[in-house]
Amino acid sequence: MKNRNIAFLMLIIGIVVGSLPSVVTDAQDAPEASERGKEVYEESCAHCHGTEGRGDGSAAENLLPRPRDFTRGLYKIRSTEAGELPTDQDLYDIITEGMPGSSMPGWETSLNADDRWELVAYIKTFHEGFKEREASPREITLADKISYSEESVEIGKGLYTDLGCIECHGNIGRGDGTSAPTLTDEWGFQTWPANLTQGWNYRGGFDTEDIFKRFIGGIAGSPMPAFEGDSFLHFGLTSEESKRLTELENKDEMTEAEEEESGLFYEKMDAAVDVALNRTEGMELSTDEQQTYDDAMKVVYEKSWHLANYVKSLMPEERPEPAIGNSVLRSQYVQGALPTIDDTAWETFEARYFPLVGQVVIEPRQFNPTIDAVNVKSFYNDTEVAFLFTWDDRTHTVDETDEETGETLEDALAIQFPVKVPQGPTAPKPYFLYGGRLPVYLWHWKASAPEQVTELTAKGVDNVQVQEVQGDLQVTGTYTDGRYKLWVKRVLKTNDKKDLQLDPGVFVPIAFSAWDGSNGDIGTKRVMTSWYTFVLEPMPSSRRFVYPPLIAILSLGLLVGLRAVVQRRNS
Amino acid sequence: MKIYLFAGLALLLACCYVGGAFAADSAETESLVFPESYSAGGVSNGGTISGVVKFEGDVPEMKMLEITKDQAVCGAAEKYDESVVVGEGNVLKNTIVYLIDISQGKDFDKATKLEMDQKGCQFSPHVQIVPVGARLTMLNTDKVNHNVHIFSSVNKPVNKQQTKNRRKMPLAGVKKAEGPVSVKCDIHGWMSAWIAYVPHPYFAVTNEKGEFTLEDVPAGTYKLGYWHEACGSNSASPASVTVEAGGTVTQDFALKLK
Amino acid sequence: MKRLSLFTICLIILVGSWLVLRFGIGGVVSVPIPASVIAMYMGLIIIAILVHISVEDSLFQEFLRPIRETLVDDRRRIRRRVIAVLIPLFLLGYTYSIIAQRASPPGSPRDAHPSPPLELTYKDEVIGTMQDVVNPFRHYEKDDPEAFKAHVENGRRVYYQNCFYCHGDHLDGQGHFAPYLQPLPANFQDPGIIPNFQESFFFWRISKGGPGLPAAGAPWDSAMPIWEDYLTQDEIWDVILFLSDYTGYQPRTFGEAH
Repeated sequence: MKNRNIAFLMLIIGIVVGSLPSVVTDAQDAPEASERGKEVYEESCAHCHGTEGRGDGSAAENLLPRPRDFTRGLYKIRSTEAGELPTDQDLYDIITEGMPGSSMPGWETSLNADDRWELVAYIKTFHEGFKEREASPREITLADKISYSEESVEIGKGLYTDLGCIECHGNIGRGDGTSAPTLTDEWGFQTWPANLTQGWNYRGGFDTEDIFKRFIGGIAGSPMPAFEGDSFLHFGLTSEESKRLTELENKDEMTEAEEEESGLFYEKMDAAVDVALNRTEGMELSTDEQQTYDDAMKVVYEKSWHLANYVKSLMPEERPEPAIGNSVLRSQYVQGALPTIDDTAWETFEARYFPLVGQVVIEPRQFNPTIDAVNVKSFYNDTEVAFLFTWDDRTHTVDETDEETGETLEDALAIQFPVKVPQGPTAPKPYFLYGGRLPVYLWHWKASAPEQVTELTAKGVDNVQVQEVQGDLQVTGTYTDGRYKLWVKRVLKTNDKKDLQLDPGVFVPIAFSAWDGSNGDIGTKRVMTSWYTFVLEPMPSSRRFVYPPLIAILSLGLLVGLRAVVQRRNS
Repeated sequence: MKIYLFAGLALLLACCYVGGAFAADSAETESLVFPESYSAGGVSNGGTISGVVKFEGDVPEMKMLEITKDQAVCGAAEKYDESVVVGEGNVLKNTIVYLIDISQGKDFDKATKLEMDQKGCQFSPHVQIVPVGARLTMLNTDKVNHNVHIFSSVNKPVNKQQTKNRRKMPLAGVKKAEGPVSVKCDIHGWMSAWIAYVPHPYFAVTNEKGEFTLEDVPAGTYKLGYWHEACGSNSASPASVTVEAGGTVTQDFALKLK
Repeated sequence: MKRLSLFTICLIILVGSWLVLRFGIGGVVSVPIPASVIAMYMGLIIIAILVHISVEDSLFQEFLRPIRETLVDDRRRIRRRVIAVLIPLFLLGYTYSIIAQRASPPGSPRDAHPSPPLELTYKDEVIGTMQDVVNPFRHYEKDDPEAFKAHVENGRRVYYQNCFYCHGDHLDGQGHFAPYLQPLPANFQDPGIIPNFQESFFFWRISKGGPGLPAAGAPWDSAMPIWEDYLTQDEIWDVILFLSDYTGYQPRTFGEAH
């Protein structure tokens, strides 16, 4: 018995010791670059990042964001200060977790930890700077985090405007700022500002700490500036001084006394900036200078935490649950008139969230979607059904000319149903992409005519017909702050044989297509979904208030009866 | 020993080849050529090199810039793309003319103000020479938000926000000679300029009349290079000029589009 | 210790077997057992119990005793009242939940593999019968490993230029477009895929894509493109070589038992 206990103990110790190395590797720097790293790189990474690490692998051309060119040493997601290279851990984390919203997958399940470390070492060989680097990079300190509060969010909101975030990320963060359409990355490829309301697409994660690091360190290679210090608003002033200076700067004209006051502020700022530049240039700072620098940075960090909290406030806590194959879009029954586009009734429940993917079946294809998803809600009454569609698009495009083809591009949405509902689970549905052997019935809305929807019948992308009978639909479409809102109403039963007729309780296939004109979407180049299911949710039967009590009373009666029978027999 | 030299040479050639191949793919701009080392001191009785850079061929029409935002400030006057600015008599502005192989000469004139303005949503000057280690001050007279994005690759790239009320923003000096590198404002996508970080003061940028002057050049024979963003450079076959003590030598150039 | 009554034992057997079926076997040992199967087993157990207790009259009487006691005996008053409340309440809730349940959509299409046509074609050109056609480059694996490697490499290029969006960097069906497709893209790392089909089958699925699926066995919602519109025959054969080379699985060859 004793022996067995000892054996058990040994086993436990063995397991613990056995699992140690992985813990140890996690805290290490990457090993020296080796043949193994090269082998793993060429097997798993080279097809996008290129054998020479220039981001020019065979798949690169069709990817946006482009795979990173490692030779420049510009890494977006770092825990280090602006202009610094990433730490080994930073590289390891990106390989492990991937970059959401891009085509970079996480390799946690497909490569073991040792191989991932080998990759870190090998990737570093592409850029000389890693070899030349003398000291370890300056890391961003997260020690003085300011936790989330309404107050902090409010301060952050002010900074969001004052710092100019709004220029690219837009009024409320949907990436629809006026500078958004012209942005390019360090290599000249088009790039879009993050839609800050979609945390799940943040390349480096959407915890407040992650957001904070992106401000301070910048997102190297992208148009996102770093707010690491001397370029920060009113660097060198305390929060109170900065507030006062903002007041003064916002005046149309300053009095002489105010001029003088602001002049003093500017002098103080200049002195602090001077110290910061000395530091950047590698000069030793005196104790006083260090103090000046530290004081100024304290304010920068403080404000950045507020800003991070504000950005955090723009997104839902979690990604809405994406609809998958069997998800059902349920239209809710209301009595009387259906709510119009701005009715608060729409706010009473969560929308169904349908992620969109690029159409890659038929040329021209869309490999780089810019629309994340379409959100749908629906109500119906005895005669009509109303839908509310919302989707984020960074630009409001109504008549942009494609430079290559000369075609007119514009934003649009199409809602697709079969003309006839398939009967039974194995009955064929029309092909999910505009039908085929079986026809589909479509509502096609375009941003250039927001009060109009065209009803189409299609038997494939080449065989689309505008229906002769139009006007069954009532429509309102709006675009505000990076979001389209489309309201559509139709009678359940139309007189047109080519239309789908709707009955409560019948499950109808439904699919969506969307076009972002500024992303070159036109025709089959678009984003879309495959078939989902839509139903006019039947009113819950009123029988539910009749039968259950009836059965309860009956069962009670049965028990009483049984007792009476037994009693009689006993006596 | 010989073997090492040979190997070194081969390596150098390989690097040039790789670099060249890369430049070709990404249409990277040609770079200036800098001396390996430079020692600054007093120059007495130096000579002067001057000349005019002309544009050869059909002068392309200047493209009007499409102003997509901040109309009140940026769109107040018509703006043109400044990549090729040709003046009367076909003279070419914004060409850098410089000595390629000088290793000894005068020091930088510390009194020169190093400034680049953002005015009416255009950079001014369009081409700026900045000594290695010196601070360039970015001005913002627009009272709109700008961001200064300098696409360095030898030095650390710079991307800093200059908010609308920040009149002056000095930038840290760089460590290495580089350039010219592109300067952009991501907020106003059309804004474009060039900065060359240089190790010696014998660089000039042609003015509206296409003129350049290099002064206080120690007597000797030099390779004279030029660089223009649309016309390229002559670093492969530079002009040769001989400067006599106290003398002036003239060298003109005629540039064609790349 | 008081002996358990026959009724209690039967109750324990019933509840116990339900628990084992629902949570013991289903979910732990195998996938959850469908409710209808559980109901069938429970029915059998109830019949067995009924048979057992009705074999002898005394057994039956013993079985009924606790029921009878509960119904009439004054000592069991509390238990009686509790049951008189619980049973109707349970039925109330249960019937309500059944009536108020939301209808669910028709089941998703079964995930069987489509049966290929007898003839393998590329565009309209007939290549041969599905049974006989082999990958024309497969023989290089033995004859000429260098040439084989070149074909695999070309297949790799084709894969990462066209397929990995859905089928994934790692061929595991987890590309960045994959999660929102119905049905999910094939996972080639699944041992049930590559070894089960001939290369001609893959050629057919790749070249004809979703639209080429047979009418039988529909509905198919596959988003697989018609690759013969974009890829040459050789490219399709190469990518098939790459699939098996990368995953290490060999496709089924003709002659093996089907």
